[in-house]
Amino acid sequence: MKPHRRKKLTIIAFIATGLGVAIGLSLYALSNSIDLFFTPTQVAAGEVMSGQRVRVGGMVKEGSVMRSEESLHVEFVATDYAHDVLIRYDGILPDLFREGQGVVVEGMVANGVFEASRVLAKHDENYMSVEVKAALDASGHSMPVQETEGAANGS
Amino acid sequence: MWQWFFRLGSPKWFYELSGRWLPWLYVAMTVLLSVGVIWALLFVPQDYQQGDTIRIMYVHVPVASISLACFPLMAVAGVITLVWKMKLADMVAMCAAPIGAWFTAVALATGAIWGQPIWGTWWAWDARLTSMLIQFFLLIGVIALRSAIESQDAAARACALLSIVGAINVPIIKYSVEWWNTLHQPASNFAMDNESPFGPEIWVPLVIMIFAVYLFFVISLILSTRNEILVRERRSQWVVDLIAAQKPQGA
Repeated sequence: MKPHRRKKLTIIAFIATGLGVAIGLSLYALSNSIDLFFTPTQVAAGEVMSGQRVRVGGMVKEGSVMRSEESLHVEFVATDYAHDVLIRYDGILPDLFREGQGVVVEGMVANGVFEASRVLAKHDENYMSVEVKAALDASGHSMPVQETEGAANGS
Repeated sequence: MWQWFFRLGSPKWFYELSGRWLPWLYVAMTVLLSVGVIWALLFVPQDYQQGDTIRIMYVHVPVASISLACFPLMAVAGVITLVWKMKLADMVAMCAAPIGAWFTAVALATGAIWGQPIWGTWWAWDARLTSMLIQFFLLIGVIALRSAIESQDAAARACALLSIVGAINVPIIKYSVEWWNTLHQPASNFAMDNESPFGPEIWVPLVIMIFAVYLFFVISLILSTRNEILVRERRSQWVVDLIAAQKPQGA
């Protein structure tokens, strides 16, 4: 390689690395604001101020969903299996909403209860056919362990 | 080694070689695309949670993953443009930008269509979706920068630099779902063996679709680059000869 080309290449590599490090550091510093939601553990630790509009994400605790008979009012517990958050919501839930399913709720904490204005369902990266799921349930395994060996990637 | 590298940079050589490859690429794409689409739409089993909605994955994932390949490609072409001043690299980078912008737009659109029934929203400002939107704007920026600068050489240099800088966004998109809490789920691990629930019945058609859409991207890029070669090299003898040979008699 000719010297002037080598020099140019070094400059480009230098600029790219420098920018990469700068952007990496700022994203690292901003990571709290980039997170879409707080975990129930963060809420329990008092990171969410009362009256502040936030999103909380977690799993709908098994057996915690209580629906009102005459209105759309629903109460459930979102958990990350370490801490729980009680959530109240008036509105239509997404189709995927069920116990044991991930959710992201938007709203604010008031008197220790999370008043949600919107509930989004979060689905995981596991896709299974209906037949396979039925067979798994029949054999008593609710969620199989994922194999990483020889795995193909998609998202 | 270097001689081969410089021969690759000759527009004439690329034009002739790609002309010979194109028919084969067309055949491969048509076969893979028809097999993939029919398999994904008719024979893939319903997902246990999402039902038929899972079929959106067979468009969304290929398009999204290939849109991520666009910026690294433009960045490599950009480095070649800046360091070796190879004309062909700039033509490829120039043609890749609009194609990449379309792929990004389709990935965002199919994602929104998928998100509406499953998540309950068209859009969320989560890290994956936002970084993808930034990639779309960056690509629009590259296209705008190209047309804003009149001198072809200066435009090539500016776009090359923006492409190299913009490529930093690609690992951010890729790992956003692991670094931050997002609504978008992380990448799936599909297992190879038949016994696993994440078995081949779901991912084999996906892999076929990824290859098919990749071929579509490559073919679009080659066709677009060939046009650009003819435009930029219109005064060189081989293009003049080529056009004279193609002109019908008496026209």
